Amino acid sequence: MSPQDVAQAITNALVRGGSQFAVATIVAFLPVMWTTTLMLHLGRPYVLRTLRRCGLRLGADVWWMSYLLMRDALLVITFALSFIYFNPNLVASMPFPITGPLAALCLLLALAVKLARRVDDDAQAFRLSTVFLIIGATLYYLPLAFAVEAASQSHLSWFQQNLVSNAPGRTQPALVIMWISLAGVAAVAVWIFFRALASANRTMKRRLTAQTAPAVREKVTSAR
Amino acid sequence: MSPQDLTSAISQGLNSGGEQFLEGTLAAILPLMWLAILGLHLGRPYILDMIDRFTLRLGADLLWLIYVGLRDFLILSGVVVSFMFFFPDVVVTDQLPLTGGLAAVCVMGVLIVKLIGDPDHDARAYSLVTYLLGLGAAFYFIPYILGVQANSVVTGGFLKVSNFLVTASNPGWAVGLAYACIAMLGILGAVAVGYVLKTGGRAEADISSAS
Repeated sequence: MSPQDVAQAITNALVRGGSQFAVATIVAFLPVMWTTTLMLHLGRPYVLRTLRRCGLRLGADVWWMSYLLMRDALLVITFALSFIYFNPNLVASMPFPITGPLAALCLLLALAVKLARRVDDDAQAFRLSTVFLIIGATLYYLPLAFAVEAASQSHLSWFQQNLVSNAPGRTQPALVIMWISLAGVAAVAVWIFFRALASANRTMKRRLTAQTAPAVREKVTSAR
Repeated sequence: MSPQDLTSAISQGLNSGGEQFLEGTLAAILPLMWLAILGLHLGRPYILDMIDRFTLRLGADLLWLIYVGLRDFLILSGVVVSFMFFFPDVVVTDQLPLTGGLAAVCVMGVLIVKLIGDPDHDARAYSLVTYLLGLGAAFYFIPYILGVQANSVVTGGFLKVSNFLVTASNPGWAVGLAYACIAMLGILGAVAVGYVLKTGGRAEADISSAS
């Protein structure tokens, strides 16, 4: 092997190893993100209880705003990181939880509920988003704890053979689950897009009507 | 050895080294987090004493909110970082305290008490939280000091005890405890979900006291 070959090998290894490390880091951080997301969502009654004891409106507002920002930003970031499960090459080559894409879809559905209904004022909407989050978390944690992170446990071989995306014979089902979930994500995203568009049109129209109404009234008064 | 072999060897080394570094960093942070959690929880009388001395309500409110936010976020982070104790491959490979998973379950119990009860205004709930934190700290620090940090200096019978307290040198117990902790965590999680679904995310304690 010439020095040129060694240099080339190190370069290739850094590029390949670097990208694999980036993917592995995202995968390693996803359980952290999922758990924090769940805890902040489920901790709402406690946050409300603390908030109601604030003597001043300012303190209560700061507390509530920080909670909302953290909770919802974490939801969005967790979904963004979960997008790694929608890369077919990675799904086929790396040991991902086979139902990871479905978990990401559930996360997006929870976000869609938050967009469509006032989750913080409507208990039913809050329950609905909670249910989506719990289903997503279950679909994520079960294959992660008992298959992906339990490769050394022979008595869990059924989980390893069936719930890991790159296990022999499981790549095709994993890809099918991924494509179905991706279609679901696309459908929800299109629905969110048109809903946001319609909502913006409606509010702008209302504002324009409110702005033009005093002008028309002024004209009528001056004509009289 | 071909250039391709060398490429694979280096990239594998980078990957596994990076993973172990990440897990090692988390394991190194955990004792600090435990100490900070205990310090903030036990320092409550000092904070309350300081709040009483404020002449402006705004300062008192902000101090209390920052204290509560920091304390509870650290407790939450404690459970999140302890998640590695629930992965069989990680506990078998890394040198972790044997009962670290049980410590994480205790912290999860603290979060449940905070969710359902009101430890900042109910002395019984506060005592329960304190006992759970004390138990969790014992579960974490005893195997951490006597096992993980002492297995290269002790000899004889103590070495056996020390090795028993480390997950990598006691994989049978470690994996069994990991499963038991997953089950306990699942039960506590189900309790939290049930409570939140029942209340619809509202602070039920306040609603009942108002009515």
